[in-house]
Amino acid sequence: MIMSKEMIDTCEMVLKTAKEAGAADCRVAFNKSRYVEVKYRERKPENVSEAATRSINIEIFVDGRYSGQGTSDLRKEALKSFVSDTVKSARLLEQDPYRSLPDPKYYKGRTKTDLQILDPGYNSITQEERHAMAKELEDACLTAGGDKVISVSTQVYDVFNEETILTSNGFSGEIQSSVCFTFAEMTAQDEGDRRPNGYNYAVGRGYTKLPSCSDIGKEAASRTMDLMGGKKITTETLPIIVENRNVGSVLSGFISAMSGTALQQKRSFLLDKKGEKLGSDIFTLIDEPHIIGGLGSRPYDGDGFATKKLSMIEKGVLNEYFIDWYRSRKLGIEPTTGGASNLVLPPGKRSVAEIMKDLGRGILINGFIGGNSNSNTGDFSIGITGKLFDKGKFTQNVAEMNIAGNHIEFWNKLSEAANDPWTYSSLRTPSLVFTDVVVSGI
Amino acid sequence: MKTIGRRDFLKAAIAAGGAAGVSRIIPGAWLESARAASPGFFESEFGITEALCRKVLDKALSKGGDFADLYFEHTISNYVGLEDGKVDRAFGGIDLGVGIRTVKGDQTGYGFTQELTEESMLAAASTAAGIADGSAKTAARKYIRPSIKNYYPLTSLLSDVSLSSKLPLVKRVNEKCFALSNLVIKVNVTFHDQQKRVLIVASDGVKADDILPLNYIYSSVVAEKDGRQERSSWNFGGRQEFSYYTTDVMDKLADEAVSRAIILFDAVQPPAGEMPVVLGPGITGILLHEAIGHGMEADFNRKGVSTYATMIGKKVAEPFVNIIDNGTNERQLGSINVDDEGTVSQRTNLVEKGILTGYLHDRISAKHYNVNPTGSGRRQSYQYYPIPRMRNTYMLAGDAKPEDIIKSVKSGIYVKDMSNGQVKIGEGDFAFFVSQGHMIEDGKLTRPIKDVNIMGNGPKMLQNITMVADDLEMYQGGTGRCGKDGQSVPVSFGLPTCLVKSMTVGGIQEQGA
Repeated sequence: MIMSKEMIDTCEMVLKTAKEAGAADCRVAFNKSRYVEVKYRERKPENVSEAATRSINIEIFVDGRYSGQGTSDLRKEALKSFVSDTVKSARLLEQDPYRSLPDPKYYKGRTKTDLQILDPGYNSITQEERHAMAKELEDACLTAGGDKVISVSTQVYDVFNEETILTSNGFSGEIQSSVCFTFAEMTAQDEGDRRPNGYNYAVGRGYTKLPSCSDIGKEAASRTMDLMGGKKITTETLPIIVENRNVGSVLSGFISAMSGTALQQKRSFLLDKKGEKLGSDIFTLIDEPHIIGGLGSRPYDGDGFATKKLSMIEKGVLNEYFIDWYRSRKLGIEPTTGGASNLVLPPGKRSVAEIMKDLGRGILINGFIGGNSNSNTGDFSIGITGKLFDKGKFTQNVAEMNIAGNHIEFWNKLSEAANDPWTYSSLRTPSLVFTDVVVSGI
Repeated sequence: MKTIGRRDFLKAAIAAGGAAGVSRIIPGAWLESARAASPGFFESEFGITEALCRKVLDKALSKGGDFADLYFEHTISNYVGLEDGKVDRAFGGIDLGVGIRTVKGDQTGYGFTQELTEESMLAAASTAAGIADGSAKTAARKYIRPSIKNYYPLTSLLSDVSLSSKLPLVKRVNEKCFALSNLVIKVNVTFHDQQKRVLIVASDGVKADDILPLNYIYSSVVAEKDGRQERSSWNFGGRQEFSYYTTDVMDKLADEAVSRAIILFDAVQPPAGEMPVVLGPGITGILLHEAIGHGMEADFNRKGVSTYATMIGKKVAEPFVNIIDNGTNERQLGSINVDDEGTVSQRTNLVEKGILTGYLHDRISAKHYNVNPTGSGRRQSYQYYPIPRMRNTYMLAGDAKPEDIIKSVKSGIYVKDMSNGQVKIGEGDFAFFVSQGHMIEDGKLTRPIKDVNIMGNGPKMLQNITMVADDLEMYQGGTGRCGKDGQSVPVSFGLPTCLVKSMTVGGIQEQGA
């Protein structure tokens, strides 16, 4: 799809207005987006929504001062006064010598590969197809759930986005993107008043890149069954397997401590730990911005830097932090990139089933609840649900249990990565095995 | 991207000390000036006449339906921040749009637009109308504004407060934080304010409007001692007037942020296991929000997915337990004068003398249960359709003394402060993360604790509330947010000191003998 000239023209007008109002530099981002959503319940549409949005966000650099503003009112005269008002109010702030547009040398070398951030099939999706998908999700879930079903809901959602960014120091970028999402959830009747709710979903650039709706619906039902009769058992030290799609709930506490803002503002337990070994040899994280159709794929990052592959953590050694342009100035170090694109933890060779047989007894964690992580100390505590296995076979479902620890120690317990990378996320991790974890309960 | 529906409660900050429920004496004139500012705003600024609304509503009902509504919104947001000693960043935005909804039974069609032109609105109405497939209906010809009380009047609009008035507040907090302790190494201070104007027009003849302020001053402090670093934060705000932000408030904020950071050097993660938990007053009301609040939202119950779906009229707690969800608390963050469907706000009883009494209803659920809506239909913005949400959720004071409650516990923990919580409403299982508290040993508060997840089950927890004190306090901040079905709304909470005889503490070592 070709982008209209309208967006570039509007951005150029904004830059011109900013200069005329006295700004030394300006970045303008123009975003337009359209989404469609269909939800089904009780074999009929429960919600049908569709709308479009647009917004212009500007960053102004004037007299060594900095400010940002956004608006959805894009009438020409309204935009002009919006820009000059922003310049005026920026002058009221204190100067920040570290604020500037990035050195343009970092803009160079942008990949020419079509990353298929906009799925080639996106434009031909019809509303009838969305309804058909929502129905298929529902049928499969209802059938698999059988007489245990209290309620099933399904959702089909997609969004199309167009972005144009210009800066006064020569950056120009245009991206069109699509994201498609299918989802099914089920509530089942358990003993007493317990009504476990389980779900399944997939996200990708195009619906054709996702598993079939009947597979998704069927698995939503089986994941709900995996919550039936969940009880806590006595506190025990044993191996855990964190399911691929849930690794982020634990890993996010580590990743957020890698950010330039956290480091520079002294709220990171990873401060001064670059180059140290902080995890096992399995603990490798690679930032890969050029995965075709990847949910985090991008030709340039938030600063406009041309993106490239980065080894963040390698065999447990912390190689790089996420340093954006502003924090690189404040810290006096080279920037890398402000945030993750697609983060990949390389998969291993064995399946979860093989690993379970080998381990004998352990808990497969299929969900987390509550919890948090202290970015200064690395301490974390989080509730879990899961399936206890013994002699390699599942024996019961567990709930209301908790794992707690510290990130500096925890990733040394990572003993194996399974062969099942989760690709419906920008965080692409396989299921991970941790040994000697205290799982607290009774 | 809209996220999977999870009953999350996102970041909230911490309640102040100070008694809740103390009403301030307010001069009478404010009611008139605030009222005068609001109706007619969309008409005078954007030409939104009653005739135009009727036309759009008729379009939304062009294939039938029970009713349709329009939700106009104009929101101005501002943020000014201090980092490394300088107030050197400000952000803001204006968001304008209208959401158009058609309802038929429990089905909803929805569209919205940011262009308040007739053509664009009719197109969005056409999208919404598609949920129905019958013969056209028409909207009411006459529109009445219900009698609406104002729980957060403004003598002057926040959009008229200039950046230069906010700078000194932010700087004062920063100076005070560094002055309070030489352990302080980093301070961040931000002032946020938002002014939301709404106009709701419903096809059955209701026309309601409101101006909702939302603001807070927030400070985050990092302290360093013997090579270790700890951080804490605090905020004051709610639906305040700008005059609320006095130098006293700035100084109190600095005090709280610094003292909470410093105590963490002595704090430990408690042992793991089941034990009695005493909740201190205030923000700990998050417990109610997760343990029962979400489970009482009527949409979950009419779908049969909440564990409370068959418990109305049943005894769920001791007779001294009374739990309220209220939209009419003065200046509280979760208060609304009218909900986002045009229903006048109210106080709703969830648990009365230990008996589960009623759900939180939007219009769809109220019709399903054949009751009146409870003013609980809320939405994040014009980009979303409303669903049942909480407002200010709290427990009424009891008779016990807080000191006696602590004395009664041989071995357990005392929770002062929580940062977040989450619930699975079908099972009733919930969790909340404790950021400040103490061990209780032989009836006394001993070592400070931090960073522990506490879990429980809603109905079981309610039954296990064995003592309730007379010291109800409400959260005094502006950052409380509740997330549900991908939409976030501001909420508040409160609690008196109370004892839950057993909860699961997700601490760090196996509980010793």
